[in-house]
Amino acid sequence: MTLLFVVVAVIVVALIFDFTNGFHDSANAMAGPIATGALKPRTAVLLAAVLNLVGAFLSTEVAKTISNGFFDESLISPAIVLAGLVGAILWNLVTWLLGLPSSSSHALFGGLIGAVVVGAGFSSLNMSVVLSKVLLPAVVAPVVAGLAAALATRLAYRITRKTPSMHSETGFKYGQAFTASLVALAHGTSDGQKTMGVITLVLIAANLQQPGTGPHLWVVLAAGLAIGLGTYSGGWRIMRTMGKGIVEIETPQGSAAGAAATATILASSHLGFGLSTTHVSTGAILGSGVGRKGAEVRWSVARRMLYAWLLTLPGAGLVGGLAALLSDHGTPGVVALLVFLCISCAVIFAISRKHTVTAANVTDSKEVLVLASAVPDSYTDDPRFTDKPADRAETKGVA
Amino acid sequence: MHVDWAALGIVAAVSVVASIVFIVLLAYGVRFVSAAKVLSNQGGRAGGPLTVGYAFIGCAGLLVLYCLYLIVPQFH
Repeated sequence: MTLLFVVVAVIVVALIFDFTNGFHDSANAMAGPIATGALKPRTAVLLAAVLNLVGAFLSTEVAKTISNGFFDESLISPAIVLAGLVGAILWNLVTWLLGLPSSSSHALFGGLIGAVVVGAGFSSLNMSVVLSKVLLPAVVAPVVAGLAAALATRLAYRITRKTPSMHSETGFKYGQAFTASLVALAHGTSDGQKTMGVITLVLIAANLQQPGTGPHLWVVLAAGLAIGLGTYSGGWRIMRTMGKGIVEIETPQGSAAGAAATATILASSHLGFGLSTTHVSTGAILGSGVGRKGAEVRWSVARRMLYAWLLTLPGAGLVGGLAALLSDHGTPGVVALLVFLCISCAVIFAISRKHTVTAANVTDSKEVLVLASAVPDSYTDDPRFTDKPADRAETKGVA
Repeated sequence: MHVDWAALGIVAAVSVVASIVFIVLLAYGVRFVSAAKVLSNQGGRAGGPLTVGYAFIGCAGLLVLYCLYLIVPQFH
């Protein structure tokens, strides 16, 4: 009975994580086309949500990586998985509040790893799989996507250099909307599977499913719906950072970045790499900025994102580990953890209400600072929140 | 410690090649469609370039469908 309660709690919390993953990462796909006007904000998130759901059905390789191989299943209890999820959700919400496009996937992996290490010891962690299927792809994939996007952008501009810019702008607008949709599809495939993997992991840990089998259909459907709903609710804060913060995007660039991100995510997912869609999309956007002559990449913003990325695995791991200390104490511990999660979510939500970023004002600000997207406008003249004086002067009228 | 370098290499190669082929097809499509528009604005016959342009765009679409076909297990 207790076990069943914990399993149900894990499934619910896993779906909540999936939801936060959706709104955290909808920016990856749709920030570009919203910024260039290729898609209207509402249309964009609806399209992305539907494609998320479709994408969830495309493949289950990554889910299998998580449920078979990451951890020694005989040592994992549902309570440990729950602790890992709590770590991941809290990390996701805090970075969302700050408008940081950190990786939901790494939050999940970090949280799980932290909880498993604290709850079951280092020996239950399969380091070799973690290294070859998570850490290494995490470094390689954004670079690959950036390279592909840079080359593709360069070619797109070269081929259309004699085309009137009005025509190419319009033509690539459709291209950008199309490749952004593909990114949403790939996102559903890659990230939807992570939740499926976790739910499957807990079902196996509770002896409700045979070890070595893939996710059930209802798990796939629930995960797809949760991530789709999250995407539909839109992560407007992060979209602002992604759409305008890193580099000013033109439609040919956007098309190239989308194509590169999609290709990288889908190819990796197909081989079971638990890749971060956030890292890949950011890499592709940066690459497309490098590929266009005269595009000004704001490396200071990019550097700040890099720090957030580096922090995500250990940060979420720490929260997950602390949560595992709590969830270790039987049912009261699990209940306490769930209560703590609810209160934290409520507090973060309350803070976010003070200065909202919505579909209506997502493209208004050209603020360069990541953090500034989460500060009220009156603060933007404050030197603490601005990057350098020149940027402030440039954006003052807009912000 | 086993790292599957071959799989990583495949991912890198496929990603770069697929993105480039897609964008080249799309860019030529845009270029020919635009040329057709320019021609018809000048009162000329634009059917040829228009067809070529849409053919390129169609190929880009087919490429995407083929790639999706490759990764979906139900099709194999």
